[in-house]
Amino acid sequence: MFAYEKRLQYPVNIKNPDPKAAKIIVSQLGGPDGEAGAALRYLSQRYAAPTREVQAMLTDIGTEELSHMEMVSAIIYQLTRNLTPAQIKESGFDAYFVDHTTGIYPVSAAGVPFDAAYFQSTGDPIADLNEDLAAEQKARITYDNILRLIDDPDVREPIKFLREREIVHYQRFGECLRLTTDLLDARNFYAFNPAFDKTKKKKQKK
Amino acid sequence: MNERQKLLLKVQQLSFALVEANLYLDSHPTCEKGIAYFKKHKSELDKARAEYEEKYGALKMENALGDDDRKWCWVTEPFPWVSEYERGER
Repeated sequence: MFAYEKRLQYPVNIKNPDPKAAKIIVSQLGGPDGEAGAALRYLSQRYAAPTREVQAMLTDIGTEELSHMEMVSAIIYQLTRNLTPAQIKESGFDAYFVDHTTGIYPVSAAGVPFDAAYFQSTGDPIADLNEDLAAEQKARITYDNILRLIDDPDVREPIKFLREREIVHYQRFGECLRLTTDLLDARNFYAFNPAFDKTKKKKQKK
Repeated sequence: MNERQKLLLKVQQLSFALVEANLYLDSHPTCEKGIAYFKKHKSELDKARAEYEEKYGALKMENALGDDDRKWCWVTEPFPWVSEYERGER
């Protein structure tokens, strides 16, 4: 089960509303490499993980991604407070506003609603972990691009924190991939599904 | 930074140290240095969180009952997306 703790993982305190920035950053909530997809990806994949180390990692990183969804949502919430109709029109936030007002809804920056097709759960831990490594890099790139477009230090600080987490998660998933292949016959890591084709597992010493 | 903000930041820092240790220990479960790091920050976090909850309200639902058992304090403090600006602290 999950227990909520009533605080953000990292502080978010944004003084000045900026609907144009919100429109960009919302992609890291509901876009193709956003936090909603990350959380669902890891929390869905963990059941096919071959060892408790990998089961733990997918559970714990998936849980951290939920707290990142909350941070990105808090950023959007704070960037869209007290807007005037003129600000909404001039910033281009009007396309989001017409459907969602200033509510938080998972979409990409281009307005495409969140889609579970952004991630896979193949039931094959090697395929899944390779996807996870790519996903962390893609999210890091998105944060880099956000940092290229945003100047406000109140917004940049939490975004920089989230970017760093992608790098740490990449490191940890790399270790998971190694732990997984260590269990297998080195001659054919990638030729079968170790979670399904049980006969191909390396014989463990008793 | 006021006292509440300082104490919350301390909770966030110590808890973050534990998250980092958590992920590291998942793939290095017998690392003595990692375990010592976790232990040190765990006891400091427990202290800081208890102090915050005592002074400024519950972080965890199970600690949300007020001292006199007459009030559900989960709803008396703002939720965390409310900024220090909106709280009127800055």
